[in-house]
Amino acid sequence: MKTKTFPGGVHPPTYKEITAHKQIEVFPFPERLVLPLIQHTGAPLEPIVKKGDAVKRGQKIADVDAFVTAPLHASCSGKISSIEEWFHPVRGKCLAIVLENDGSSEEERRNPLPISEIENQQPQFLREWLREGGMVGLGGAAFPTHVKVSPPAGKNIEFLIINGAECEPYLTCDQRLMLEEISKIGIGLRILARASGASRVLVGIEDNKPEVIARWEEFSPHLPLPVEIVPLKTKYPQGSEKHLIRAILNREVPSGGLPLDVGVVVNNVQTTWAIGRMAEEGLPLIDRVITVSGDAIAQPKNLKVPIGSLLEDIIPFCGGVREPLKKVVMGGPMMGIAQVSLSVPVIKGTSGFLFFQSVWEKKEYPCIRCARCVNSCPMNLIPSWLARLSEFEAFEEAKAARALDCIECGACAYQCPAGIPLVQLIKLAKSEIIRSSRKGGD
Amino acid sequence: MAEEELYFSPSPHIKSKTTVPWVMRQVFLALLPAAVGSGYFFGFRYVFPSILISILACLGFETLDCLIFKKPLTIYDGSALVTGMLLGLSLPPGSPFWIALVGSGAAIILGKQMFGGLGQNIFNPALVGRAVLLISWPKAMTTWMARPPFALLPGAEGAEVVTTATPLTINQMNGFPFLQELDPQILKHLFLGQVPGSIGETSVLLLLLGFLYLLWRGVVSWHIPLTFFGGLSLVVLLGGESLFFHLLAGGAIMGGCFMATDYVTSPMTRRGQLIFGLGAGAITGIIRLLGNYPEGVTFGILIMNATVPLLDRILPPQFGGEKR
Repeated sequence: MKTKTFPGGVHPPTYKEITAHKQIEVFPFPERLVLPLIQHTGAPLEPIVKKGDAVKRGQKIADVDAFVTAPLHASCSGKISSIEEWFHPVRGKCLAIVLENDGSSEEERRNPLPISEIENQQPQFLREWLREGGMVGLGGAAFPTHVKVSPPAGKNIEFLIINGAECEPYLTCDQRLMLEEISKIGIGLRILARASGASRVLVGIEDNKPEVIARWEEFSPHLPLPVEIVPLKTKYPQGSEKHLIRAILNREVPSGGLPLDVGVVVNNVQTTWAIGRMAEEGLPLIDRVITVSGDAIAQPKNLKVPIGSLLEDIIPFCGGVREPLKKVVMGGPMMGIAQVSLSVPVIKGTSGFLFFQSVWEKKEYPCIRCARCVNSCPMNLIPSWLARLSEFEAFEEAKAARALDCIECGACAYQCPAGIPLVQLIKLAKSEIIRSSRKGGD
Repeated sequence: MAEEELYFSPSPHIKSKTTVPWVMRQVFLALLPAAVGSGYFFGFRYVFPSILISILACLGFETLDCLIFKKPLTIYDGSALVTGMLLGLSLPPGSPFWIALVGSGAAIILGKQMFGGLGQNIFNPALVGRAVLLISWPKAMTTWMARPPFALLPGAEGAEVVTTATPLTINQMNGFPFLQELDPQILKHLFLGQVPGSIGETSVLLLLLGFLYLLWRGVVSWHIPLTFFGGLSLVVLLGGESLFFHLLAGGAIMGGCFMATDYVTSPMTRRGQLIFGLGAGAITGIIRLLGNYPEGVTFGILIMNATVPLLDRILPPQFGGEKR
């Protein structure tokens, strides 16, 4: 198979065989759901319901008057029992709406979007429709989808890339969706193409999923617009927007720029699926598929869960924990976030939960300048130099050495034979640079 | 399932198996064929004491330094082991024991620990040790013992060992045609290692075997060795001398494959590595063709070592097209 890729990157073991062939199971509605008011990149939400209110599944419960944001909907019917501080998988703690499931199945569905009319809809109408559905990127960063497909005046979107790379080890939720829910993804893809104005659609899939590639090659000719399937070399971080674009179109997104700057918009397959489902069934983004895996969970699974499901409820459904449980990670092992509590909810950006019996640590040595970090950095940075500048608090120099270009993929720290926490140090430099520029430094 | 025992650490949560001691072990292993082969070529009692003393002295000096300056003991990272091995292999066979001892002291104390230890030094420690010896005791460092049946030892029948000149010296004094007359199969002997020279530097075959192992293991890349040989070839061809002879003779293979590729003292960027290799090879050639020393590898690499901080800064890699 002829595959495309980008320079740099690493080849960690994929561990995907654990769940790759497990069909998506539906996690039953738990008794309680917790919906944090920060679900996405952008303006935090404000609740539009209050304690004691009864809500239906699919009803909007939080929104805010801002462009870069996406509203939140109730993912089951029930009563708002409180609005309080709760554990958040990324932010530590954050205000959340707590919803008690009342067991009824009352729903508030929108009118379905006529599928045959998608290509005749006004892009602006579709963008507003996407916002109302609470659509955000489900690959992890959770950037509001309607913002992505709204190019500023003077810029055109030529290409829509559907990101089916799923380059993080362990995760298989996107892979399963691409096999099991292909027609919904096809509808979502048409809506995204129409909303963004893209004339060409490309679907990038890593070559460790040959059955997915075959299925899509068979499916794509049935779509009413030209869709090209692009097999990609299995390499981390192939699923990063910038590197997907580099691999597929050989275009480099400028420093500090967006895919828009090179005429591209990238959307994750799961986002595309959620959009397709809303068109068909009228349900906003209230569920998602996650992968539960790792050596410390008894029954690894791909699970369709309501947003807001608590980890402590999901664990028993996966057969419980296999002791000793040492570490829990939300997301993939390369960029995911270690959790300090099992009471965290699934948020829109949750691609999975990983459970580990052991902690992977390396003894730290001085940097031997082996250049493994340089060769693996997909952004062509010199991670060891940036890390050293960060250690010495030389943040201005770090900025000049393009620290802000770092996508925090962790390829450098994965490779480093000296066990230096390179990404952590670069993240520190980045936050210091951003802080000082906010203070009005420059 | 006690939550308070959940371990928190930053991503990535998985790591490759490569560690610093692993890397050092690979380099040590890659040098073993040349080390063992030297015993076969020169006689075990003329080479093994030098190699052993170098290794033990390098470990010893580093331990001493750590004790005196109350630093954690660092010898388990394996770098002193590699330095000792490289230094031992670059000494003349049969050299006095104190040569290895002094060389190790210079390599570890002067070449590495004074800069702050592993990763901090500018110059390749083994080459620092060798350069100090070469300048301070030129006679001991250029007395080459060899034993029959080497082809370059006319009239040595019956003697156990004799001292002789290296092919590079003969080439410099009398020219390549004369050398060829002495040993019509000189290139083959250089390739196999049956010539006078430094302990571990004579057998191109065994060194390349080790280098291929490092390439296969992903420990080194081709960038520095290839440009090193390119730079050397360029100068040799411009000077009108025999290309193959210069590539096979002296420490060219050892230098290009094992000394110039030292992580700590070579550039981290690909572009920097290409210039570094080219420069070190070219300077080696210039010293060989125009200098007083018949061999220029040591100084060729040491000079380019000094340019590494500059090369790392002026050639940073880029990413990102134009903003539209």
